[in-house]
Amino acid sequence: MFSSYETTKQTVTIILDGKPQRVPAGVSVAAAVLGTGKTHTRTSLISGEPRAPFCMMGVCYECLLEIDSRKDQQSCQVQVKEGMIINRQIRTNGEEK
Amino acid sequence: MKDAFGITTIGFDVAVIGAGPAGISCANSLADMGLEVVVLDEQPNPGGQIYKNIEHVSSACLNILGDDYSAGQPLIKKFRHRNPTYYPGASVWQVNSDGHIFYSKDGISKEEAAKFIVVATGAMERPVPFPGWTLPGVMSAGGANNLIKNGGLVPNGRVALAGSGPLLLLEAVHLIDMGVDIKAILETTPAIPNISSLIHLPQALGRMDLLKKGISMLQKIKKAGIPHYKGIRKLSVKGNDRVESVHALKGDDSINVDADMLFVHFGVVPNTSIYRQIGCEHEWNDIQRYWYPQSDKWGRTSLSNVFAAGDGQFVHGAVPAALKGELTALAIAADMKMIDKDERDKQAKSIENQLQNELKPRSFIDALYAPILNLLDVPKETLICRCECITMGQILDVIDEGCVDPNEVKALLRPGMGPCQGKMCGSIISEIISMRTGKKIKEVGSLNIRPPLKNIPLSEIAEIKFLA
Ligand code: FES
Repeated sequence: MFSSYETTKQTVTIILDGKPQRVPAGVSVAAAVLGTGKTHTRTSLISGEPRAPFCMMGVCYECLLEIDSRKDQQSCQVQVKEGMIINRQIRTNGEEK
Repeated sequence: MKDAFGITTIGFDVAVIGAGPAGISCANSLADMGLEVVVLDEQPNPGGQIYKNIEHVSSACLNILGDDYSAGQPLIKKFRHRNPTYYPGASVWQVNSDGHIFYSKDGISKEEAAKFIVVATGAMERPVPFPGWTLPGVMSAGGANNLIKNGGLVPNGRVALAGSGPLLLLEAVHLIDMGVDIKAILETTPAIPNISSLIHLPQALGRMDLLKKGISMLQKIKKAGIPHYKGIRKLSVKGNDRVESVHALKGDDSINVDADMLFVHFGVVPNTSIYRQIGCEHEWNDIQRYWYPQSDKWGRTSLSNVFAAGDGQFVHGAVPAALKGELTALAIAADMKMIDKDERDKQAKSIENQLQNELKPRSFIDALYAPILNLLDVPKETLICRCECITMGQILDVIDEGCVDPNEVKALLRPGMGPCQGKMCGSIISEIISMRTGKKIKEVGSLNIRPPLKNIPLSEIAEIKFLA
């Protein structure tokens, strides 16, 4: 859904859902994940529907991701770091995939 | 920290929460006057939403975002130069009126204390529900703007924009400049301005420069040939796992737009969670339809050591926010006897004049884009509480059964109990109750804020580092 407006000079490598991805340095984790072409960041715990970052300013909590083993991190408020391990919180029927 | 007698005391003179224009300018002024300041901010870099990432943004993006954005540079430069104690990435989860603040940073919770607290937590976009608003591809226009500032990301599919207010149009202009494929702009604002806005026009004409900016935005949209509808109702989005099309009504005609993304914006409201949690009194504005903390011209709230600065105090925009931050700093400096009252008033004079000049067009713009919330138009299946998946129908049912207090609705159905703790649905529920029952919002009231303000794991709270 999103792509870079210009070629970025500096990048860092994150491990997203187990796969290494090069992303621009200095961006928020939510932006980095959207920039890799993912359309959603988690599924609703209640309905299982896909959800994506909505506000990008720390209000809606739709951007919750597991970052470096800590669950439910507000990824729009966290900056990417080299080697960061990020997992989308995709759950079905209350179980994690 | 040492006090005037050389005795070590706990904490700071002032804690500023929020590093947007108001918080930064307030901290700069306080530091100038020799006060010990700590600035706590949720984001990794200073600037708030409006000046987000301004220290690192690329020149290409800086060009697109224009003067209103780069205006933040000197403010942040001064902040770096002044170098007050600054905790970025710090989520404040509780503030007590005695000046104790609890925050979480990198998974560790700590306590900080200050004699005065300045809450400069800014504003947020007004959440407005419509069918499909939880689908991936729907994002707030401010969110899309953040992706430009802090990611250099542009949408690469077909985009529609909907809602109302100058920021919606500004975002459209940025996207046009970046070559984005905009399929339509759907405004809820009526095509013919309401009479009440025109009363404020003469005053607004006092700032022709700002009005010109607005007019040139509209001209740019027109020149780009984008279908631009006004006075739309019944906005909805369809799609399987993501946005596929956007729909609305204009009069009896239906508008259908194939799009991959919809950016929505329905104006901006003060972010009041911290004020409410500390226990500040609030007032209701009937035109803008939002709550804001009661305060005097210095931003002093109903609690004498707690100040409200910036858009969180009342939405006036970035430049006024910085000015309000300076006024707050003067009041605190006078309370702390760093300056006397005459000096305070003398310095305040020129700031107040600037503020007045900045606010000239505000009443006109506020009336022109006054929110039109046809919430009762929203179909029953539509989610109101995104976190707990509570629908309009469920909420209407309990209201019709006599449950007309938002906190009772919460107890019965759990809206506001999810991760966002009602930040998204709280105001909507009060509006729905008001519209359904005909009661005034003031009588309906609002969801209580319960600590912690952020959902911090219990294990983290158990290991909190208190001040010695
Ligand atoms: S996108 Fe809303 S909190 Fe992160």
